[in-house]
Parts: sequence; structure tokens; C-alpha cells
Amino acid sequence: MKKMPLQCPSCTHHLEVSELSCTNCDTKIVGRYALPDLAKLHPEDQDFILQFVLNSGSLKKMALQMGISYPTMRNRLDDIIGKLQTITIK
Amino acid sequence: MKTIFIDPFKKYQENTLFIIGTTSLILGSLLAYLLFARFDGVLDLHFVPHITIWQPLLDNIINTSVLTGILFMIAKYINKKTRIIDILNSVLIARIPYYILPLFNINNYIADAGNELANAIIPNSAIKPEDISIAALLIIIFFAILTITVLIGYITLLYNGYKVASHAKGAKPIILFCIAIIAAEIVSKMLITAIPY
Repeated sequence: MKKMPLQCPSCTHHLEVSELSCTNCDTKIVGRYALPDLAKLHPEDQDFILQFVLNSGSLKKMALQMGISYPTMRNRLDDIIGKLQTITIK
Repeated sequence: MKTIFIDPFKKYQENTLFIIGTTSLILGSLLAYLLFARFDGVLDLHFVPHITIWQPLLDNIINTSVLTGILFMIAKYINKKTRIIDILNSVLIARIPYYILPLFNINNYIADAGNELANAIIPNSAIKPEDISIAALLIIIFFAILTITVLIGYITLLYNGYKVASHAKGAKPIILFCIAIIAAEIVSKMLITAIPY
């Protein structure tokens, strides 16, 4: 699957969805839709959040699974929280 | 490989680090007892003529506790989520290189060379500076370079552990870290001197 661009390659401003299409019948919807805040994160950060939810929010479990220490895992979460706070303020 | 020696705190779980750290503290203290070394301060190592088995062990316990306490206070100030176990592990692991230093005093080489040098410096001493043997001088220079290298390793490990534990970023945590080291050195030195053991 192609990596979704998050910033305009020309002016670096954030991007919006302007077209949606049905994967079954190919119906197209044109409009201006803001991306959900989580979708504005980098794919690695989105994957981290997904794993966090799948592990019932247990950073300890995730740390063991990924083979890294608990504080490293918590620091990563804090970084993502910081990014999300910046996104929501914008 | 780099992670193991420079930044083990990113990868290894707290239990592993704690077991390795405490085992090293005990073995390091035993080695220091066998080779007449005292860790009489967070950054100190001195060779002494007489030693009891408890002295290096208590030195290390005091140094580890003082450094952990002071570093934890500043880490908590930087990030409220900092856990004491992560700071304790940073101190325990960072001190491992220091425990190896007494090994170089096998046969009392360092202590003898140091005494020879110290006696030559004393005014009106029977031994003059020109009487210092080249061997003693070389031993002292080698040990000085080795100690500085180990000290750099110790501080690097400690800073990396503190950085991971407190999620420190920017210049302020670095300044606070330096202040904590100096404060810990003063407090540990005072405690080790004041407590009779």
C-alpha cells in the first residue's frame, strides 16, 4: 500500500481529503474532508497506537514484545502525546 | 553491540539491569577488598594499606544510594513520570567500569608507584624527584589515562540512563545532571568520612 502524504510537497501545509471512492462499485465522492487527528501521525506512530490498544494499554507488555525497555516505550508514548497535542492545537 | 556497552537502558528490562547491577556491586566490592581499594566518594578510588571486607561494600552502597537519591530528585523535577528503579539501574550499571579499576593494583603496583611519587614530592624528603623510577612514572601515567577513560565511560553510561529514565531533552537537564554529580560527590564524601566503619 502506498504511503499517504501528510504534508503538501509544495508549501508543507497539512493536506485534506478531497475525493473518496468505493472499492466495490467505484462511486466517487468529491468534497473537503479533514483528516482524523490520528491519521495525521506518521505510520510508525499510528502503528504504535494500534499496538498499544491491542495490548490493552500495557506498556510493559509491549516493551517485552518489542524487546525494548519500559522507559523507552513510555518515552515513545510521551513523544506521540506531544505530537497529538500539537496537531489538535493546530 | 553498541547498545550493550553505551546505552543498555534503551533495550534491557529493569529486572535484568537490576540483577546485573547489584551482582556487579557485590563482586566489585569483593575485588576492591582483595586489592585494597576504597571507593570513598561517587567519583573516587583510592588504594589503602589496611581494609576490612565491609568498607568497599558500604562505600559502594553509600555512593549508589546518594547518587540515586540526588539524580532521582532532579529527574523527577524534569519529568514527573520518572521511576526510581530506572535511576537506580542507571547508577548500578554506570558504576560497573569503576569496579574493574582495582584489578590494576594486583601486587600493589599502583599503590607502590603512587607512594614513590608522593614521597618524592614531599619537601626535604630523602627521595628526590630525579630518583623516581621510570617504571613508577609509566605505571602512574598509564593508570591516570585508564582512570580518565573509565570515568568518561561511567559518566556517559550514567547520562544515557538518566536521559532514558527522565526523557530529558535540551540543555537544562544536562546542567542539572552536572550539578547532581557534583552534589553527590560532596555528600557521599562527607558521609563516608563521617560514618565510622
